Amino acid sequence: MMRSFANIEIQRLARCRLLEELVRRRLPSGDGWSHRGTQFGAEPTALALLALHSGAIVTQEGASPLIARQGADGLWSAVGDEMGANIWASALAVNTLSSLGAERATYADSIEALIRSCPREAAWLVSLKFRFLDRRVRFDPTKYGWPWVPETVSWVAPTAMALIALERAKKRGLVRGSELQRRLRLGTEMLLDRACPGGGWNAGNAVVYGVPLRPHVDTTALALLALRPLYDLPIVRNSLRWLLRNVECPSAFSLAWMILAADVYKDVGINVSPAINSARDRLASLLEDPRSIGDTSTIGLAALALGSEPKNNPFEVEG
Amino acid sequence: MSRRVFEAAAVAGTGALAVRQMLSTGYLQDRRKANSRVAIIHQASYGDRLDKTLVDGLRLFNLDLRGKAVLLKPNLVESIPGSEVNTNPRLVGAAATAFLTLGAKTVLVGEGPGHQRDTMLVLAETGLETELRERLIRFVDLNRDEVVKVPLKTRFTGLEFLWLPRTVLASEFVVSMPKVKTHHWAGVTLSMKNLFGVVPGVAYGWPKNPLHWRGIDRSILDINAAVPAHFVIADGIIGMEGNGPLHGSPRNLGRIVMADDPVAADFSCTLLMGLNPRRVNYLTQAAEFLGNGAPERIVHLGESLPRTVAPFAVLPEFAHLRL
Repeated sequence: MMRSFANIEIQRLARCRLLEELVRRRLPSGDGWSHRGTQFGAEPTALALLALHSGAIVTQEGASPLIARQGADGLWSAVGDEMGANIWASALAVNTLSSLGAERATYADSIEALIRSCPREAAWLVSLKFRFLDRRVRFDPTKYGWPWVPETVSWVAPTAMALIALERAKKRGLVRGSELQRRLRLGTEMLLDRACPGGGWNAGNAVVYGVPLRPHVDTTALALLALRPLYDLPIVRNSLRWLLRNVECPSAFSLAWMILAADVYKDVGINVSPAINSARDRLASLLEDPRSIGDTSTIGLAALALGSEPKNNPFEVEG
Repeated sequence: MSRRVFEAAAVAGTGALAVRQMLSTGYLQDRRKANSRVAIIHQASYGDRLDKTLVDGLRLFNLDLRGKAVLLKPNLVESIPGSEVNTNPRLVGAAATAFLTLGAKTVLVGEGPGHQRDTMLVLAETGLETELRERLIRFVDLNRDEVVKVPLKTRFTGLEFLWLPRTVLASEFVVSMPKVKTHHWAGVTLSMKNLFGVVPGVAYGWPKNPLHWRGIDRSILDINAAVPAHFVIADGIIGMEGNGPLHGSPRNLGRIVMADDPVAADFSCTLLMGLNPRRVNYLTQAAEFLGNGAPERIVHLGESLPRTVAPFAVLPEFAHLRL
């Protein structure tokens, strides 16, 4: 019990150091955060805002740097504002604005743009190509989600984040409609279709040339966050088991995503909480010196993962 | 001639003819040197002599490295226990030390894996993190570096520009350090294909799917024309054959290949693999303007190419690559 209190204190101190580092890394003039260096990045900005918001360091007004970088089409570039739309960054930004309680008007167009964004395999000719001509990667092109960037095909990470953002917006009554429902259904089916045979997800290629590929911790965590309502499905349960076997992961980025995902499955009764505690201990031990961490996104994620507030997980789609 | 060989020869030949046409109209600049230098160096293992082998090998080229910022770009994909997927960390560490020994001002190691978003996890699991920490060498995640919009000098993909990492553009001496492997989509993955890893995931995603849609061969040509590697150190000590780049079988070659021209390096590595570089589409086209593929323009500083080689196993669709 004493050890547990000591570990909680170590985690609390680690989180404080991470939040301090986020404040230190804020770009001049309050212009958001960068992955590294001085260029605005939508992902590090969104994750830093979520982390600082969870620590009551920024309020909804703090979202202004993110709002300021929104493109005319409602979507965000991953870096700067010249790069063109990035679906992952946009879904993360929408979810951040919604979680921070920003005015709905600031991201209503973004939600609609996300719903309209289709991957290449949504076109029937491309779908036919993958169904009958190009079968090197096993997947069902009729089940599609979201691409990283326009004019490419669906991948697991952007699909999971788009599902999380849209599901959470729907639950808050910010969006509804048949097209939303259709995209949520298709995206969910796409994630289930792309799962690795033994559970878990990688970028989105589960079987190539008949060979099953290995899952990755971070994408498995993201998919599990999006699929929380489907815990009864064997593939989701197997994937959670696979994820929890990786609590000794040596990387803060993957560990943080794992903790955030496992956190929404605490009530399923397969020793999730002890695994989260072990993963948090390990994460805190990896973060003694936040200045040595190159990517600001990792710092934001880790601060969120070490946060102790219940029911405050910005990626939870149920509850 | 089988149908497959005929098709491959036709594609490579058509591509090469198109490149010649572009050269003749001044659209493309011929960047080939009069002669390129390649050193095939015997090295049986990743053991203790590796540091000395690297220094001795680099000395063959008499490179002027004084005061230069060197970037080593290994091939890191992901860690699969028991599989020779990645450039061996010992070789990367030994190369870093060798460049510093020979006068480089700084040596950085940078990579942007194509599928695994957690670069630091790959670094830790492959053992490269420990190797670099012990040698006090810094690593940069090229997937999340600052980016610069670089107009392209070639338009094989039809793209007008690429977003590229500032660290790569600021380096004065870029060294491509591939693993000698077969590749299920490109045929072989060597120093030129390795430069896919400088294209940042933050801009193009994981994988770098916009480039796949533009064509892997065409993307390799545009990337290498935009960010040419100054030098190559290819890990052929243990390569990979069969279903590469991830699920092939280890293949002992016992060789390190160094070169001052990526095209010449890749031609030599392909021949060492018992495969025909003239049937690798992007290599044929690259040899028309980016570097040297013709044997008479390649000077061998180390061992000669072996007369006979047991060819690397390839997937059936690449059977035409065999010599």
